[in-house]
Amino acid sequence: MRDALSYQARTNHWLTGALVLACVIVAGVGFAIGDTFYLRLATEALIFGGLALAVDILLGYTGLLSLGQALYFGLGAYVSAVTLIAYPSFWGAMGAALATGLIGGLAGGLIANRVRGVYFALITFGMAQVMAKAIYNTRSLGASDGLIGVPVIDINLGLLSVSTASPAGFFLFVLGMITALYLVCAYLMDTPFGRLLIAMRTNEARVPFLGYRTSTLRLGSFMLASVVAALSGALYPMLRGFVSPELLFFATSGNAVITVILGGVGTLVGALYGSLIFTILKSVVGSWTEHHLIVIGILFMLVVIFLPKGMMGLLHALLRRASAGKRP
Amino acid sequence: MSSTILEVEDLSISFGGLHAVDGVTFAADRHRITTVIGPNGAGKSTLFNLVSGALRPVRGRVRLDGRDVTGAPPFRMQAAGLARSFQITALFFGLTVAENLRLGAQRLEPTGRLWAPVRRSGRAQARVQALLEQFGLADKAEYLVGALSHGEQRRLEIAVALAAEPKVLLLDEPTQGMSHGDTEVTAAFIRKLAQDVTILLIEHDIGLVMDLSDKVVVMHQGRKIAEGPPAAVRADPAVQSAYFGHA
Repeated sequence: MRDALSYQARTNHWLTGALVLACVIVAGVGFAIGDTFYLRLATEALIFGGLALAVDILLGYTGLLSLGQALYFGLGAYVSAVTLIAYPSFWGAMGAALATGLIGGLAGGLIANRVRGVYFALITFGMAQVMAKAIYNTRSLGASDGLIGVPVIDINLGLLSVSTASPAGFFLFVLGMITALYLVCAYLMDTPFGRLLIAMRTNEARVPFLGYRTSTLRLGSFMLASVVAALSGALYPMLRGFVSPELLFFATSGNAVITVILGGVGTLVGALYGSLIFTILKSVVGSWTEHHLIVIGILFMLVVIFLPKGMMGLLHALLRRASAGKRP
Repeated sequence: MSSTILEVEDLSISFGGLHAVDGVTFAADRHRITTVIGPNGAGKSTLFNLVSGALRPVRGRVRLDGRDVTGAPPFRMQAAGLARSFQITALFFGLTVAENLRLGAQRLEPTGRLWAPVRRSGRAQARVQALLEQFGLADKAEYLVGALSHGEQRRLEIAVALAAEPKVLLLDEPTQGMSHGDTEVTAAFIRKLAQDVTILLIEHDIGLVMDLSDKVVVMHQGRKIAEGPPAAVRADPAVQSAYFGHA
């Protein structure tokens, strides 16, 4: 039997493959011409793509709008930075971020999942604001200046090792990490667990009558999203060498939501495409005018009105037309 | 194995002083069709909500196959073998017919399968195929629910409830909004279902109730006023005055 949702997921895998290929080519070209700036920018785009993946799990699959996902991204970044400063080990930093995502996700999920809809959005927003202000006022974490001096490390991958200072090398490494996160999410969304999340988005009231406890499913989804956000955030200080409270601010959470909507809600791969496009736009438009937010705001409105399914919706439609055109 | 599978005893709930369901007691026999009838506002749907766990009773007991399940939440009721359909179609719109059924059938699989790809849930998939055939929806398996006719949606509503092979199936006005012809077809359908599952039904169409039911429970203003075989209930003077509007 052909399963409509699995079929869509497969199309998204192909689109992810295309993205990975494009990134590898970019890395090669960048390495050849000795570029640093654009490779660093693209690495940052991928890292924020991981945050957008987390938003898409909640928004596109479970039907929950989080306006505070930067909370987990920022916590992951800070935990990673603190770990790296004390003990410069990549896997140590990732392990610490994973634990933070799990524990923070459990605590935050128990709070936020008590409410729905607008109230859920506001609670997630509030939790992120509280944590951002707490860090902003904590001197030992660098307060408003942030934490600087995260060391360059060599990531030992057994056969080879990658330095976080290498523009092309670290870009490819982050590409691998974010692709792995994508694959884990895509796998889970194609299991009965993921299908139940989709069912909750569609008609939450019916789900208990299928025999499943909705509060557990929602908490599972929330924790998955917080782990994905924290692991993505953990890569940030390796790229930039510092972390600052802005990582937890609303602008970060809001940008992640915009990214997902630009790319296509409920596709996962849209989060990655959306993040690359969004970051490039911000940088390119930002180099023309300092009022780049006006341009991005207008673009966002146009996408919502004319491409409600985002870039992936457009690509899916084009692919469908192309495959239909092949048949006589 | 006793012939009674569902026992409801002294079930009561009130909303701000209104006794929506007041001391209702009845039993449903295995593989029989028991129908709850009553005028609008008699408390039929509230009774269903109490039995299916959507509401917690303030008093009384619900026993399923000898097990006390009073006040258990819906997901536990479902696990215990009691499923329900809804008066207002409550399907997963935006998903396909097959996916709606697959979601309904997932409980047939062990909980660990929740973390394996859906194609590994072979038993649920087989159940989906069987239901598609049984409910005449095989050619519409990949249609979105919203593209089905009203009659087909009502049928799918029953199929989703039936998907996890419950012992007792609660059907809340399955023929709601159907044409006369569709109603007849659905009645024959429900009759056939009763070979495998015990059915508790809420129905408005009196003609249908009399033909279909093995037992009728009549409610009026939250109370049970009669219970018995259709013919006996119809002849009951209390039922005549409450339901049919004349003494």
